[in-house]
Amino acid sequence: MSGERPGRIMLRDRGAAPLDVVIGVMAFLAALALGASLIADRAAESWRSGLANRVTVQILPPEKSAVSLDGEVEAALRVLRAAPGIAHAQRVSDQETLNLVKPWLGADALIGELPLPRLIDATIVPGAGVDLESLRSRLKAAAPDSVLDDHTRWIARLRTLARTISWSAYAVLLLIAIATASTVAFATRAGLEAHHEIVELLHQMGAHAGFIARAFEWHYFLATLAAAAVGALLAAGFFVAAGGLEFAGIEPVPFLPPLSLKPAELAWLLAVPAAASLIALVTARLSVLSALRRIY
Amino acid sequence: MVRFENVGMRYGPGPEVLRDVSFALEAGSFTFLTGPSGAGKTTLLKLMLIAEPPSRGLITLFGHDLAVTRRSAFPALRRRVGVVFQDFRLLGHLSAFDNVALPLRLAGRDARDYRQDVEELLAWVGLGDRMNARPPTLSGGEQQRVAIARAVVARPDLLLADEPTGNVDPDIGQRLIRLFEELNRLGTTVLIATHDRGLIEKAKAREMRLVDGRLVELRAQRP
Repeated sequence: MSGERPGRIMLRDRGAAPLDVVIGVMAFLAALALGASLIADRAAESWRSGLANRVTVQILPPEKSAVSLDGEVEAALRVLRAAPGIAHAQRVSDQETLNLVKPWLGADALIGELPLPRLIDATIVPGAGVDLESLRSRLKAAAPDSVLDDHTRWIARLRTLARTISWSAYAVLLLIAIATASTVAFATRAGLEAHHEIVELLHQMGAHAGFIARAFEWHYFLATLAAAAVGALLAAGFFVAAGGLEFAGIEPVPFLPPLSLKPAELAWLLAVPAAASLIALVTARLSVLSALRRIY
Repeated sequence: MVRFENVGMRYGPGPEVLRDVSFALEAGSFTFLTGPSGAGKTTLLKLMLIAEPPSRGLITLFGHDLAVTRRSAFPALRRRVGVVFQDFRLLGHLSAFDNVALPLRLAGRDARDYRQDVEELLAWVGLGDRMNARPPTLSGGEQQRVAIARAVVARPDLLLADEPTGNVDPDIGQRLIRLFEELNRLGTTVLIATHDRGLIEKAKAREMRLVDGRLVELRAQRP
């Protein structure tokens, strides 16, 4: 069969607005899910890189009053600064420690009365491979109330959280893809029903099934591309607005990563209309070919 | 060209519309198919244009036994058949020109190649000034002429026409029959289903009559 474009032979669908709305809404949700997975991936990476090369030493308030808390801090600092692979070790000031607990306990004046641990923040030379067990035992010997935290547990938990968010987003994307395919299949069948006289005439005049299918697939490809582009643009607007709020100093949820997307990440949202229109094209083609196989 | 052997046809569990129909249309022949309404003329035409499979019997079209021909070969066979449907079946959203050009588009012809052919044919059927009109704005007779032009434009090997002069005045009817005869002289096999006795009497063609689904050969082609 020729490469004749069947577009003008088929009648333009009227009353297809509900389909456009459904596809637009699904594309909006798909773009939100995709954005969420991008944010989760970025957050996981920033948490990992922020904590991976650092260790924290906590000096708990000693139970025996004879031992000096500040003395233990100084002893721990000496051990850390002498340890191979430790680039830098610095005591976290009391004010900074208070700031760290404020989000959980509030800014009440009584907070100053709490027996807060002293903290030492140490940076590891990248790739140095510090023997943490040996360091931990040397710290214990110098400062019995010290606890070395290399953040491994936290990083693992945050990674699990980010991975869960990402996989949930992928599951949502898959469900939306299935819903889009089902919607287009339904719409194609309705379109075939509405245009059955044209389809039967073309069929009887010797049009190949592929020629008739092209008329439908092209129509649904363009309709889905337009509707999904609107949905993805709305989602992009949402992420840009979230970025605007952060820029204005309004943090939507403390401790969680920012909900905004960087320009390169926003470009990923273009994948939503591209994928949706391809799904529509393939679904429409398969639906038409399947329906035509039932005609003699 | 066309051969039916003991062909029977029924729709679903209903009675047989065609019974033991056997005939052959030789290449280049001109035949009238007559019979009262409901005798099965339209069903017979549907079987010939591969719109329905027969319930029984053998149909051979252009040398292909349809019972064993792959369905993927049907479109090419259908494109060798021109059809004038009783209800015209024009595409209402396309112009008269585009309706007539449809078989050429389906055959993969370029619009630049066929524009003149289509315009000349529309002029021949008296619609030279209505080429851009859409079927809903045309009279019944004009629609019928568009349908006929569409059926003959690709010079099909076989032309099937179901009551092709039913909606036109006698002068136009004669003109259209001359078009069919001209096409027949150029090699197209023609079968016309009609009630119009005047048309049949004027032509020297073979006549086959369907009565209660059975075929009766009334008159052979006259020299």
